[in-house]
Amino acid sequence: MLNMHNIRKSYRTDTVETHALRDFSLSVDEGEFVSVTGPSGSGKTTFLNIAGLLETPTGGEYHLDGQEVSGLSDRERSRLRNEKIGFIFQGFNLIPDLNLFDNIDVPLRYRGFDSKERKRRIEKSLEQVGLSARVKHLPAQLSGGQQQRVAIARALAGEPRFLLADEPTGNLDSLMARQVMELLELINQAGTTIVMVTHDPDLARRAHRNIQIVDGQVSDLRNTIGAEEAAVA
Amino acid sequence: MLELKPMLSALWRNKVAALLIALQLALTLAIVSNATVIVMERIDKMARPTGMDLENIFSVTFKPVDNNYDMAGAMQADLDLIRSLPGVIDASVTHQIPLSGSGSASGYYTEPNQVVGSFTANYYQTDPHFIEALGLNLVEGRNFLDNEMYTIGQNDRHNPAVVIVTKRFAERVFPDESAVGKFLYAGADDHPTQIIGVIERHLGAWPGWSLGGNAVFVPLFVTNKQAHYVVRTESGQRDALLKQVEAQLAERDPERVIKLATLSEQLAESYVGDNLMVKVLTVVIALLTLIVALGIVGLTFFWINQRTKQIGVRRALGATRANISRYFLVENSMIAGSGLLLGAAGATTINEILVRDLSQPVLPLSLLFLCALLLLSVSLVAALSPAMRAANISPAVATRSV
Ligand SMILES: Nc1ncnc2c1ncn2[C@@H]1O[C@H](COP(=O)(O)OP(=O)(O)OP(=O)(O)O)[C@@H](O)[C@H]1O
Ligand SMILES: [Mg+2]
Repeated sequence: MLNMHNIRKSYRTDTVETHALRDFSLSVDEGEFVSVTGPSGSGKTTFLNIAGLLETPTGGEYHLDGQEVSGLSDRERSRLRNEKIGFIFQGFNLIPDLNLFDNIDVPLRYRGFDSKERKRRIEKSLEQVGLSARVKHLPAQLSGGQQQRVAIARALAGEPRFLLADEPTGNLDSLMARQVMELLELINQAGTTIVMVTHDPDLARRAHRNIQIVDGQVSDLRNTIGAEEAAVA
Repeated sequence: MLELKPMLSALWRNKVAALLIALQLALTLAIVSNATVIVMERIDKMARPTGMDLENIFSVTFKPVDNNYDMAGAMQADLDLIRSLPGVIDASVTHQIPLSGSGSASGYYTEPNQVVGSFTANYYQTDPHFIEALGLNLVEGRNFLDNEMYTIGQNDRHNPAVVIVTKRFAERVFPDESAVGKFLYAGADDHPTQIIGVIERHLGAWPGWSLGGNAVFVPLFVTNKQAHYVVRTESGQRDALLKQVEAQLAERDPERVIKLATLSEQLAESYVGDNLMVKVLTVVIALLTLIVALGIVGLTFFWINQRTKQIGVRRALGATRANISRYFLVENSMIAGSGLLLGAAGATTINEILVRDLSQPVLPLSLLFLCALLLLSVSLVAALSPAMRAANISPAVATRSV
């Protein structure tokens, strides 16, 4: 599903060069639920951004769904993000001027679905997250947990193969965090591959597999072995 | 693909800024379109043909120092001298200089002793050389004969037997028939003056006059305290001959004050006000357009900065660069479109007032449309660079900034 080999990412400013990822290798199989933990600044978001085609790596190979994606044009990357990847952000990132319906509609419009199909998907995904009654509400009229559920609905509406979440519960209290986690588990059970960055060890443990990123590299033993096996194969 | 409805609802939540720009555009259109129609009218007015060989004519004015001066004799001697100069096409005496802003007008009747319903025209006392000396075009009838020319004293009375008129005057007085052979009566008397010729065009004394172009010419020289000549030269020799004539006339008779000026100079002086108006209004149009363009650039940049996060999120959700820049251009067009619609209504209202109270020209719908189109393009061009910048916002903004 996701296969990164020797990915490097460095950020260069006028004075310093930061190596956010170094020889980063990782495979995630179809249907897996992987949690990613690690100290602040270790490169978790960088990994997620590269995985989600939000940033391009400085070097290395990245196969997504069997396709080498690091050389794709901006336009093709936009299309892949739109069709294959769902994002869930720590800050929810709903568009404040749009009601729930229009928020979920945003990626569907870029996809080019007709209005009937969009409406069907919006209603279905809102129902999945239990917010059908709020369709005309603005994001500001919802609690944080509800907003994150709308963001999940927005990610689900495109029926992505692959869901990327960067600290999806970071801004939520523990009750709401549990609800969101349960929702993600349901989504994963329905077949969507999930990679979730989290600081919460309890949530991290609930994933099939936990990888640790330290200093821009995967430090999880099991996974390191996996990566070497992949390299050999 | 076009997201008009959500775009409108997003706009609605930022309506104050949008409204301000729309209003600014409305005001700009209202002022710019009315200013443009005035500028165009003035330019048209200044570009009107004078009927004369404008670039090759200069005028001479002389005033004798002595009160008992032989004006008629001097006039004849001066004109003989001027006409003998190589490069001079012709010269004639005239009691007023055309296009100079000073002149006389008189009312003419078609019936003897008529008291109401006169036709007003510029009135020139001149001589049989005036057609050649001004480069006029005689389109019908004939020129004055030498024996039709009279010279009289200041207190004498003489009713000219013949008159030459402009086509404009001829068509106004005798709309459906030839004016040649018809009679005019000056100042409610019973002395007939026959129209013997029609010249194509002569703008007269006051270029801005609403009856400009209505002119009549009679063969008459009234000895007075001063006299004017008009001199037409071969093309390109005007300035040299002006100096030569000035020197030779002074040499022939130093006992007088002589003043010379080109006809184009005098026309330019008559148009000073119009020229100023054109310049001022052009600056106003340019400034207003610039200000509205800057306002749009500023507002669009401001909005894009405000929505950086949102743009990054849209990119993360699959928007291409083109999607993003198109969003801002379409949004800009919607604001501009509504502002310009309002402005068109405003422009029409202002124009109605200008036409009614200040007798300014009517604003044609086509010109209004053209101005609106121009401002729409200005607003699109203004939004272009901010929209490009928006398109370059990285999708990583979605995860990087909170
Ligand atoms: N745009 C950038 N320019 C320069 N340096 C950057 C940029 N983005 C990230 N970095 C640096 O790259 C390193 C990895 O950052 P990253 O955001 O991936 O860490 P993280 O593991 O997500 O941290 P946190 O847990 O605090 O979110 C950090 O040292 C960070 O300062
Ligand atoms: Mg992070």
